Amino acid sequence: MNPLAVGRALLDRELHTAARTRSYYLLGLAVGGILLGLTFGGGGAATGYIPTVVDLLLPLELLVPVVAIAIGYRAIPSDLDRGELAMLDTYAVSPATYVGAVYLGRAVVLSAVVGGALVAVGTVVAITAAPDTGVFATHTGVDSPILFGRFLVVTLLFGNALLAVVLLASVVVATTRTAIVAAIGAVLVVVVGGEAAILLGVLDGLLGETTVRIALGLVPNSAYRGLVFETVIGVLSAGESGYASPLVSVVGLLLWTAGSLGAAAGLLRWRRR
Amino acid sequence: MCNADHTDPTTETDQATSDDAGPPVVSTTDLTKRYGTHRVFEGVDLDIASGAMTAVIGPNGTGKTTLLKMLLGHIDPTAGGVSYNGPDVDRPMGYLPQEPAFRPQFTAAETIDFYASLVPAAVDTDALLAEVNLSDARDRRVAALSGGMRRLLAVAQAVVGDPPVVCCDEPASGLDPSMAQRVFESLAGRAADGMAVVVTSHTLSLVEAYADHVVILHDDGVAAAGSPAALCERFEATDLWDVYATVVEPTAADSSVSPSADSGGEP
Repeated sequence: MNPLAVGRALLDRELHTAARTRSYYLLGLAVGGILLGLTFGGGGAATGYIPTVVDLLLPLELLVPVVAIAIGYRAIPSDLDRGELAMLDTYAVSPATYVGAVYLGRAVVLSAVVGGALVAVGTVVAITAAPDTGVFATHTGVDSPILFGRFLVVTLLFGNALLAVVLLASVVVATTRTAIVAAIGAVLVVVVGGEAAILLGVLDGLLGETTVRIALGLVPNSAYRGLVFETVIGVLSAGESGYASPLVSVVGLLLWTAGSLGAAAGLLRWRRR
Repeated sequence: MCNADHTDPTTETDQATSDDAGPPVVSTTDLTKRYGTHRVFEGVDLDIASGAMTAVIGPNGTGKTTLLKMLLGHIDPTAGGVSYNGPDVDRPMGYLPQEPAFRPQFTAAETIDFYASLVPAAVDTDALLAEVNLSDARDRRVAALSGGMRRLLAVAQAVVGDPPVVCCDEPASGLDPSMAQRVFESLAGRAADGMAVVVTSHTLSLVEAYADHVVILHDDGVAAAGSPAALCERFEATDLWDVYATVVEPTAADSSVSPSADSGGEP
């Protein structure tokens, strides 16, 4: 059977499951409430999109990993625990197709939860901010909804990279009970460990100016931060930001995504033997 | 009483085929499984025939589920091998696990529809649900189904796409007697249509009534095998329970046949 048709069937199953999972709606409301609360509390909404992005950047660096864990940690272990993966094994379902479909399904959920909340924030800014934020332009020094759109896209890129890491961690432990611990551990290692390693590398003199910029792009959190500064906040001020290039950061996030999914599929194939 | 329909007089021990059954669709050769120093079974040679129901019985821990999973390719053997000789299809084997479960958010019909979407053949979901007596529950969510109904749903899932072989791990477990009989009837019907059905079960009355071939696992391997009638004849037993007691618990059985003489596959 055509792997694309199999993948589509599996993706439909994920989306169907998500649409009927009440906790995802509650998660969406919670994330929306938190982001709107921070927006109003920070006062950025009244002054424009960029101030709002500045208000939300650090909270999102913490919130997005939590959402990725909440959405992803049970996905594959639940199927393993239920024995459903053993049943799927008798169909023409390859581990790569299965992992890819589960990931895409959960990525849609994460994008809906985080993206929906950010759209709500953007709408609030559009309604409450000063008139000059209505200009759709990206010239230096001009605030714009397009910049907030970039922020949304970059945030989803970051969240979906972490989601892939969570899926990999859950396949490593393979049971629902331990998956939450593994997912939290993996995200902590990637997020905190990556930046700590860079810091140690700089302190020890192992990383020079050029290599540190590449290294920053290869750690999800700093890549995300770098992308936000370079493509959203940075347009308001000229000059070097000191962050990794957007290209390196995007490549870094995509590598985390593809690498984690590839490893998860490989591990699942090995486990099923 | 032993089923009079099964009159296979042969006394093969490791053969799950007979004259009236089709050719072997799955064969095991010298199949051995050990976990560290623990030996589950050793040197198992089986031919699983198409068009027949093969029942694997034996005490807990003798490797029935392990054998089933090795037939499916879910567990690698320590030694020996399993060969599939059936038609080249997308889904050569169906599987009913011991404790099947499905996504609780799906209805029974949606669950079957999902699995049906993974096979190229057209699947009549309503007919499958009717076959396992779940027509009335077609629109009920899996979360609202009883354990027995979930097992019935899993039976329906196992035969989606008509795989040449279907392996069922204790399909009657947790079902009321009439429903258990219904499941065995359904699987026997599938076997009559040409499918090779392999079941593990502790319900000897159903095995005796519906299985064409019985494989008794005990003492690290196949202790005895044959049709229920042939086993009864060979062990001078009144029914399969008597055979089982003789082979597995010789001291508990009133039989002149020494089980040791029948171990190892030689008549």
